[in-house]
Amino acid sequence: MKRIIISHETRQLFRSGAFRALLLLLAGAVAFAAWSGQRSIDRQIEGANAAAAFEDGHRNKMRADTEKYQARVAAEGGEYQFASARHGAGEGPPQGTNAGVVGSATAKYLRLPPTGLAPFSVGQSDIQLSYVPVSMNPAIHITRDNELENPVNLMTGSFDIAFVVIFLLPIFILAISYDLLSSEKERGTLAMVLAHPISLKALMVSKIAARAGVLFAAVLALGLAALLAVGDGLGSFDTWARFGLWAAATLLYALFWFALSVLVNVHGGNSAANGIALAGTWLALVVVVPTLAGLLATTLYPAPSRMELTTAARQAQTEAESAYMARLSEYYYDHLEFVPEGDERAMDFLTVAMANRNAIDKAVRPLHDEFQSQLNRQESLVRRFQFISPAIMMQLALNEISGTSADRYEHFLNQAFDFRDEWSDFFTVRFLRRAPLKPSDYDQFPTFEYQEEPFATVLTRLLPSLAGMLALLGGAILIPFAGLRRYPVATS
Amino acid sequence: MIVSIARKEFSEIVRDGRFKWTAGMMALLLLTAMAAGCQKHSAYMDMQRLSQDRTNAQWLNQGNKNPHAGAHYGNYAFKPAGPLAFFDNGINHYAGNALFMEAHKQNFALGRPATDQSSIGRFGDLSGAMILQLLMPLLIIFLGFTAFAGERESGTLRQALSMGVSNRQLLWGKALGIGAVVALITGLCVAAGGLALSLTGLSMENESLGARVALMALSYSLYAGIFLFLTLAVSAWAKNVRTALMVLVGFWAFAAFLAPKAAVEISKAAHPTPAFGQWMADMRTHQMRGIDGVPPFARFQQESEALFAEYGAESVAELPVYVGALRLQKFEEYDFPVFEQHFGRLRDAYTRQRRLQDRLGIVAPTLPLRSLSMTLAGTDLIRHIQFADAAEAYRREMVATVNNYLGEAAASLNSGYGGGNVLIADEAVFAMVPPFEFAPQGLGKALSEHAGNFVALALWLAAALGLAIGAARRLKVDGD
Repeated sequence: MKRIIISHETRQLFRSGAFRALLLLLAGAVAFAAWSGQRSIDRQIEGANAAAAFEDGHRNKMRADTEKYQARVAAEGGEYQFASARHGAGEGPPQGTNAGVVGSATAKYLRLPPTGLAPFSVGQSDIQLSYVPVSMNPAIHITRDNELENPVNLMTGSFDIAFVVIFLLPIFILAISYDLLSSEKERGTLAMVLAHPISLKALMVSKIAARAGVLFAAVLALGLAALLAVGDGLGSFDTWARFGLWAAATLLYALFWFALSVLVNVHGGNSAANGIALAGTWLALVVVVPTLAGLLATTLYPAPSRMELTTAARQAQTEAESAYMARLSEYYYDHLEFVPEGDERAMDFLTVAMANRNAIDKAVRPLHDEFQSQLNRQESLVRRFQFISPAIMMQLALNEISGTSADRYEHFLNQAFDFRDEWSDFFTVRFLRRAPLKPSDYDQFPTFEYQEEPFATVLTRLLPSLAGMLALLGGAILIPFAGLRRYPVATS
Repeated sequence: MIVSIARKEFSEIVRDGRFKWTAGMMALLLLTAMAAGCQKHSAYMDMQRLSQDRTNAQWLNQGNKNPHAGAHYGNYAFKPAGPLAFFDNGINHYAGNALFMEAHKQNFALGRPATDQSSIGRFGDLSGAMILQLLMPLLIIFLGFTAFAGERESGTLRQALSMGVSNRQLLWGKALGIGAVVALITGLCVAAGGLALSLTGLSMENESLGARVALMALSYSLYAGIFLFLTLAVSAWAKNVRTALMVLVGFWAFAAFLAPKAAVEISKAAHPTPAFGQWMADMRTHQMRGIDGVPPFARFQQESEALFAEYGAESVAELPVYVGALRLQKFEEYDFPVFEQHFGRLRDAYTRQRRLQDRLGIVAPTLPLRSLSMTLAGTDLIRHIQFADAAEAYRREMVATVNNYLGEAAASLNSGYGGGNVLIADEAVFAMVPPFEFAPQGLGKALSEHAGNFVALALWLAAALGLAIGAARRLKVDGD
């Protein structure tokens, strides 16, 4: 009997013009979202390529100059020498021989590569640069630049697949299921159907199964099509594992909305009342509660003020600067092995500037570190608020799955900070030794390769969001069936 | 007659249990949003004021140094929030609020609060504006979708019309009744918010507050009117309440959620925002190449003869100003057109995107309203650009002042070598640069960009009204 009802319902669904229109809309939305997600990733890659080409071009030019210089020295005889730093053109050895100039005037761009599923959820990647500059400049410069997106666009947010899943999919689900029982009751067919040997519960389950089956198939097909169209690394385990997680999370989320619809249906209201209740619930769970959670979180656990950090850092900078000659000694103290013979400390502007920068960095960095740890504390508190709305859990989960989460970005930044020390040390040592950089030294520059997090880490971070949704789903399934026993089959 | 229909509609709604719930929730949310908005706004403004005073003082007390080094030390411009930010925070979370002004470089405003928020923040701000833009239309739909369709189903429509009430009277009566309910809820809450804000005692001179509030009220009333008449039109046209509700909720979801995001993507595709890396590489390359293809050092060489002649000098030694300072200032000026071109390119993209989004308001009234609301609150892109412009003008003046001081005070160094680092400027020299103060341009300037948005809202209202009148004229007394 159940099977008959399911196949009947499925056929009925496909015959309904409204349902076909909804499916078409869903497909259109996914296609549009995939297209815009792809464009956002392309833009990131373009930006990273251009920035890297610019800085590498500088270094290559310097290297070419040293090659010419080396050839000249070989031809004319004499010593391959170190050039002191200068602004603009000048005589003598090229600036490329000076490790301090190469290390501070050019930067190395490090990239956070997008995952294969990145176009599915733009996440925070429209705000945070996925490529950061590393040089001998203070570490805080690594995070100084922002992506240039129009703030109005950032405020509105992206039309990505995550948006379609979180915002639109529930609307479609509610639209095809809000009048599951009520419409039959209003037409008077419910009593007739129940005259057959089928329980109300079985009828309900069959109706939901038909709708959920069709919708799940559609969502999976659309997701797969999007992956094939705009996904990357289609040959890698990582991409398919992420896609599997995406499908699981999306089905879980969709099930929750079906369960919610059942919950409202068994209350026995008419179609209009069900419609209002479900539209209201959607609004509450997807729009109001998340913004309310944001408000609560930022009120209870406000992020420290960046303005305050700025002025405090400046105060520290002023104090550090006021004694920069003393700091020069300190700089050499940090690198005692490089004090030139006879203690003739170099007084050229680059050394002084570096000593100064060093002093400022030392004074300012604790403030930034404290700020960052305050932010992290706040973030972990705020994350607890996700459990009050499936939409927030889903957003966090999808960001995590697509590799656009704040955590993955931090993982990348930590590697960037470590690399910055390696890179900076490489040049500092050679600069203070006044060891001239030869063309072959350019091949010895440290290289960076982003180390992806183990998949288990991603899973661990996903767990709370998925568990939370599972718990919500459990609640939403258990409650309604208890209420079915009291369902009035006919309008009185 | 219209008044008694309105009165009937009003009391029917107010007595309905559904109304108590929805209106209660809405009022509660509005009050929460207003209270939180006021608190955050005044805390932000306090911090902004304090920080600006602090950095202005830090500029003065930066210690004795070469005046040009002083320009490298620079100053910060902190952005004030905008007069009605407590109601509509606009782009403030997504645009930087601290702009570093230093020698040689035009910077972007940094410190976007969104960067420091978790991704939960991306769901948006719970602000008065958000509630009126997204929730108020739904409230109107819930209160009004049964207006005709419901009466038809219950058979009371035939009764009402048999008593000699005209269709048009019925329409206006119902519009008035529902409108009064909505105005009552929102008006009370907005007034409470305004009162709270006035208690915080922030000064807002020269911000034409009265005009802002009045235009804000007008814009939101137009917006509410659009949804009110659309609801009545659909209710009169639909066969049953179920269809009416589905159509209206569908339109609301489209206008309030789908359209803004789709408009953003379309505008980005039509006028792409350059990626940071691309933009930075283009600008720096251009800077090094020089605006006319002559690099700065070469250009200074080329121009030096003419430049010296301006001072009546034939050689460096005869110059009445220090040549190092002169060159610093010239290099600074060579960069102006490069900055203008590249920052301008970015702004053009932003402005074109915004205009296209506004124009797409023809398919969704939420778009023009949102844009207008931000401008009236002083939290929009136009004001952000004004702020960035003011900071850039200040930066140029600041750098020129200290460079010129260096030029005159160190003229004797022309014969010497590299002595620029020795010259010490003190607080009195840095005091020649006045403290930074952002004076936003008048409201009229910003509003001149928005004539189209008022027109769009008016057109929407006219269309909704036309639909409602048309549907009421062809009102069917019996369903199905």
